[in-house]
Amino acid sequence: MSDQNKTVLSPKTDTRKTEVNKGILLFNRMGIWVITIALLILGTIIAAANGGHFFDKSNIQSILEAVALYGMVAAGLFYVTYSGNWTDMSIPLTMAMAGMLTVQSINLGFPVALLIGIATGLAIGMINGFMIGHLRANPIIWSWGFNLLLSGIIRVGWGGKQLYADTVAKQTDFAQHSAQTFYSISRTYIGGIISLMAIVMLCMFVLSYIIHAKTSFGQKLKLVGSNYEAARFSGINCQKIVMMGYMISSTFAAVGGIFYTALRKTASYENGTGYDFTCLTCVLLGGTLLSGGKGSVLGTFGGVLAYGILNNILSWIGIGTYTKYAVQGMVFLLIVFINTYTERKLGRS
Amino acid sequence: MKKMKINGAFLNANRAWIFLIVVMIIGVFTPKFYTAYNIKAITGNNTLFIWLACGFTICMIAGNMDLTVQYCSTFAALICLGTHSRQKWPWLICILVAVLMGVIVGMINGLLVTKLKISAFIATLGMQFILRGLMYLYAPDEQSIGRDMAANEFLNDKLIKFLPFSAYFLICLIAVLIVWIFLRWTRTGRNVYMIGGNIETAWLAGVKSSRITILTFVISSVLCALGGALNGIFSGAANISMGEKGISPLMIGMTATIIGGTDTSGGSGSVLNTFITMIALAFLKGIFKKTEMQVLVISIIMILCIAYETIAAFRRSKILGIRPNLRNEYLREKGKA
Repeated sequence: MSDQNKTVLSPKTDTRKTEVNKGILLFNRMGIWVITIALLILGTIIAAANGGHFFDKSNIQSILEAVALYGMVAAGLFYVTYSGNWTDMSIPLTMAMAGMLTVQSINLGFPVALLIGIATGLAIGMINGFMIGHLRANPIIWSWGFNLLLSGIIRVGWGGKQLYADTVAKQTDFAQHSAQTFYSISRTYIGGIISLMAIVMLCMFVLSYIIHAKTSFGQKLKLVGSNYEAARFSGINCQKIVMMGYMISSTFAAVGGIFYTALRKTASYENGTGYDFTCLTCVLLGGTLLSGGKGSVLGTFGGVLAYGILNNILSWIGIGTYTKYAVQGMVFLLIVFINTYTERKLGRS
Repeated sequence: MKKMKINGAFLNANRAWIFLIVVMIIGVFTPKFYTAYNIKAITGNNTLFIWLACGFTICMIAGNMDLTVQYCSTFAALICLGTHSRQKWPWLICILVAVLMGVIVGMINGLLVTKLKISAFIATLGMQFILRGLMYLYAPDEQSIGRDMAANEFLNDKLIKFLPFSAYFLICLIAVLIVWIFLRWTRTGRNVYMIGGNIETAWLAGVKSSRITILTFVISSVLCALGGALNGIFSGAANISMGEKGISPLMIGMTATIIGGTDTSGGSGSVLNTFITMIALAFLKGIFKKTEMQVLVISIIMILCIAYETIAAFRRSKILGIRPNLRNEYLREKGKA
């Protein structure tokens, strides 16, 4: 081939590379699972060096428990990132608001309170979706501003106080019982092994996977995320699709918020602080592109697991909570860099 | 000179001033508001946010978001007071070390954005985590570091006797004016606006867009580092949650930037408007003493600004591509023109 070029063509030969690097292609295809397996091997070595077993029952359990809440939120946040709207910064206060309203309405019985909490998330998602999907607001600025507004509403509405389910509940058997049920949802172990939170997380991932892979909504969302204008001209109602993405995200965040409130036993405006960035880390770790249109729920699940395993390994080494921030930041930047770099090398962005 | 016309566009362009005037009018009805002591205290306590807001504004004009501003300033304060109390260096060198840290952080931010092509929001988010970790490494206990009375008194004193402002605030004012003049009257400054408007067009027009982007990040980080270091000396103490009273300083900086009229996608805005807005916000904080009410009022104003801009842009996008003469005819038929 190259010989022919030299003889036949003029001195200006095309020197652009057409073959792609195998490693880049492998990483682009497999993405997070390569990292997860590498982390698992690393974890096994480090745990063995510290005289423990990484695949111990209690260790796996602790990883799953620590990751469960992040997983619930990340399973929903995936849709916002996938639709090309970067991230939903109003997640912390969506979680806090859902927890607040659930605790406030605990007197109506536990199932009703749960429904009210989830409906809160749906309503917040609707407002966000209307502003960002329909009116095309800047997604980060709007959702961050809305986050502050919700924070202000909660602080003024409840006077900056914390709510406890058993003090909010009236002194009747029914109300007290529902308050106790509310507390217990984060502390139930099914079969004494796996916690209810982890089960719920897995169920939500399955649900998210079905919505993403098996419905027409998921397919439309892919088109909207990869090219908004093309999707509009091919007859997709982009505004509605983006709005639905936000609604799913906020609903999942609300479920996470309810579990978080039950775990902490208090509902306050501080619930969910830091969940926006952590869940975004998980989603991006999973290989979802920030510009949208590429990624999968399975990858997000891998990202959540990788985040949990990374934290676990850092604890095995004996790094403090705050020093973890620096390591997490570096890992985050590295992963995002590799993602964008491989996309660019494959000529897809 | 352009003809002045009082309409919606004029009001929107000058909304920072209107905000300030409204707040000052409310201040008349607040007891003990317009006293020299009160104004000095309010401006002094909120000067840190002015530095942050100005840094944030510069990056936003260039079309990027700089989330590191808060941690940059806190880290600078910790370094400044830490080197003074641990190594016994003189103040000027301490401040220089802190500013140098700001330059490094800005450079890293800029290189991440321009060379590694990570989007600014994500790059600075990662840097934010790294800075937070380094902060805890440098000052593991959450106690405040360092105390020195002489420098503290200089910053707290009035530099000009008849003005009710502390020296710290005046230094900040001078810095803001310098940045404003730089952005408005120099070629490099105008290039910042150009790459904010459309980075590709700017590049084709011969602007070195990577260099300018790095420059904006460096200026932003240096402003924050200088402000943080001075704030540490001014308040006589620095800890990891510096300036955090209910709302994070980053959030206040962003609020001031947006209410001040900076375009969220870059290309327009002014540091001076941000400064005016920040003064108005500081007065607002003085009027509403409770943190809860402060958060609610500030957030409502911010949300209204964002919603207004969003709806205006939505309306503009609807008539995009329609021929103006046909549109005018249509409006005349409907009787709207």
